[in-house]
This record gives sequence, C-alpha cells and structure tokens, in this order.
Amino acid sequence: MRFVEEFRDAALGRALAGEILAAVEPGRHYKLMEVCGGHTHSIYKYGIDDLLPANVELVHGPGCPVCVIPMGRVDDGIAIAHQPNVIFTCFGDMMRIPGSDGSLQDAKAAGADVRMVYSPLDALRIAKANPDRDVVFFAIGFETTAPSTALTLKRAKAEGVTNFLCMCNHVTIVPPLRALLDSPDLRLDGFIGPGHVSTVVGARPFQFIPADYGKPIVVAGFEPLDVLQAVHMILRQLAEGRCEVENQYSRVVPYDGNLRALEVLAEVFALRPHFEWRGMGFISQSGLRLSDAYADFDAELRYDVPGVRVADPKACQCGEVLKGVIKPWECKVFGTACTPERPIGTCMVSSEGACAAYYNFGRFAREREVV
Amino acid sequence: MPSDVAPDAHCDPRGGCITCGDVALPMAVRHIDAERGLALCEHEDGRRESVEIALVEPVAIGERLLVHAGTAIGRANADASTAIHGEGGAR
Repeated sequence: MRFVEEFRDAALGRALAGEILAAVEPGRHYKLMEVCGGHTHSIYKYGIDDLLPANVELVHGPGCPVCVIPMGRVDDGIAIAHQPNVIFTCFGDMMRIPGSDGSLQDAKAAGADVRMVYSPLDALRIAKANPDRDVVFFAIGFETTAPSTALTLKRAKAEGVTNFLCMCNHVTIVPPLRALLDSPDLRLDGFIGPGHVSTVVGARPFQFIPADYGKPIVVAGFEPLDVLQAVHMILRQLAEGRCEVENQYSRVVPYDGNLRALEVLAEVFALRPHFEWRGMGFISQSGLRLSDAYADFDAELRYDVPGVRVADPKACQCGEVLKGVIKPWECKVFGTACTPERPIGTCMVSSEGACAAYYNFGRFAREREVV
Repeated sequence: MPSDVAPDAHCDPRGGCITCGDVALPMAVRHIDAERGLALCEHEDGRRESVEIALVEPVAIGERLLVHAGTAIGRANADASTAIHGEGGAR
C-alpha cells in the first residue's frame, strides 16, 4: 500500500534503530514527549519503544482530543441531549466518556436521542432530514478537526439551515505545550510534534519551543519509521547542540500549514479567554468558541447548560498521564477498576489515549519483562 | 447505527474512532462535484466517501488527499520513499 508499507519496512527500521543507538550519549537519559495521541498509539502498536536504547524514554503528551475533555463539559453535553426535541450528535469515542453521572451512551439508553456521526457534515445531513428538530453537534478536537466543523457551519449558514447547532469544545495545541514546558513537574529533552495538526497549522507555530525553551521539536508522521526517524532527528539535534523545528512529515505538512484552513478557522471561531483541560486545569486562550458571526449556531447560547466545573474522580490520574508525569501502568486503577470496557478516565476511552493504547498493546510486552 | 448516518461512516466505538484519534487517511480523488465543493474519494482498501474539498481546491482526478472527518486538510502527493531516505524532510 503506497504511503504506508514503505514506512513499515523492518530492515529500514532496524537500520534506524542502529543509527539511534549511535546517536545517544552513554550515561545520559533522554526524555522525549510525543505530543499527539496518534503517535502514542503507533508507539505501542508497533513496539517502537522496544527498538530504542534503554536511556531514551518516550513520554505521552496531551494530544488526544477525547482525553482532554473535562467532565463538566460532558455533563453540559448530556444536559443538552436531554432537552426535548434535540438530536444530539457526536463522534464515536465521545459517546463513552464518563460524565459525573454516566456517559452520552448512558443518556441514549435513558431515552435521549444521541447519535454517532463520522463527521460534522453527517450531523448537518441529519439536521436537513429533520427540519422540525434541533440537531446539536458536540465538536471536539484540535486544529485537525476544527476546519471540518468550520466548513460545516459555513455550509449551514450558506444553505440557511437554522436547526443545526454546535457545542464547541475545539482546542488549540500550542497553549498546553507552553503550560507543560512551564510546569516544574517535567524535564523534557525534546518533542515529537503532531503531524496532522501541523497539516493545518504548519510547523511554524512550534518555533517558540526552541526559541523560548531551548528544546528541539520534530514534526512527525504516524508510521513506525516516521516515529523512529523523528527520534533520530531529535537525538541528532541534541548531539550537535542544535535546537530547531524540523519537519520529518514534509510529504504532507507544509511549513506554513494550510492557509485556507487557517482563514476559515479565524472566520468561524474566536478564542475563549480560558478553557478547562482534563487534569491540567484552566489554560488561557486554549479553547475555541463560535465567533459572533456564527452566534446563531451556538448551542450554548440556545440552551441553558449547568456550566459547572466537576472534579475528576479521585482514583483517576489522567492528569498526570496527560502531562507525562506518570506512565499509564503507574495509575492506581489502570487495568483493574479502569479498562477500555469500563473506563473511569478519558485516557482509557479513545484508542489514542495513552492508557487504552498501553492496555491494548504495551502491557503484554511488560508482562513478558516481569516474567 | 442510526439509518440517517452516512452509509460510508466508519466511526467504530469498539476499535476506537479515527476521527477522535486525529487520524487522517490518504485517499485518491475519483470524481469531483465542483458546484457542491465535494469530491468522491477512494481509500486504498476500496472504501469510498464524499469529501469536502474547499481547503485544497483545485483538485484533479487521481490526486491524493489527506482526509480527516470528511474534510481534505492537505495533500499527500510527495514521493514517500524520499522522506525516509533523504535528509529528513524540509524545514
């Protein structure tokens, strides 16, 4: 399969692993964060960490769109879903995120009309097919997904569809990275940058990482060789005393991003003063709301929502996992009370969540080590 | 799955949702509906779906797009092998 199999070549992988081994300084510990949940998934799925020297540690970042949604926002969504005459639509993983009193899936079982969609366009299609009901789309995701929501809202406006509404939970990637870099909890040597977010925003917004914090970042693709090559590029920067933004994923990521997508985002969305992230608290200018020009489509203006901040369950350590402070298996409830079938925390829900990825792939390797 | 969700939807809560997971797939353009700003695109496994192309227009038949949540967010046209064997991509 073109664009895929070239990046899963075992011989090339072994060669890259050898180059990585040659690039590390013995006795030095390297801590690299993969920002995006897609990378976390690839690392566990393909056993990439097994190919790395013992002194190169990969830690998982906050780039899983589902994992970072705070419980209070789930409660707000469920409150809207229970309104009469509402069809509530969301992506598949979002259905299973626990709120303080159940998930959207539970709300559906209790009689709310909650439907899973693959894209916001599907939600708009449902709105056009049900003109006498309000169809609310629960929008989540980083800059990868936000353009799709924005284009759908533009389409709804152009076509005069007034029963399509959006509860906007879109977030941006740079503010949480800055928050992580400012955190005293964490000492990182470099970053594997998010490939698909960068398709939209480009590699340029990450310049602050070398400029302000003196750390290298390499924007990377999601196949095993992409991740290995990104690790090698970071280690090479460190060995040569450089810190720069490099683009390993140049086959799809332009350095300046997709300018048309950025224009559409600027038209349809506006920055919230602050937005709450699961386990990370409120981060300034990290979330998007609908711009004033699209206020008629804003579900939060049409419906009353509790808007209450809800603390994460005490047993849940998603916050520490999302910040890379602990590994998934170090959480007290990992694999026991919290599993993909019965998740307590968000990181166990999405397949891109560090806990679910580790539960599904990584724990077997760890069990072998223990034996 | 409700009957009014697009039949080509492949958001599977059991295996994880590729839309939630920030996954973007390369798909080839098979047919273009310029008036509606949509293209019929085909994945390597033969699965087809309607894709919003406003962010990457103009597109040509056979061109490979990177598709996320039903929207083309970029192109995937470069020769893949050069990225791995070359100097590690452009800045």
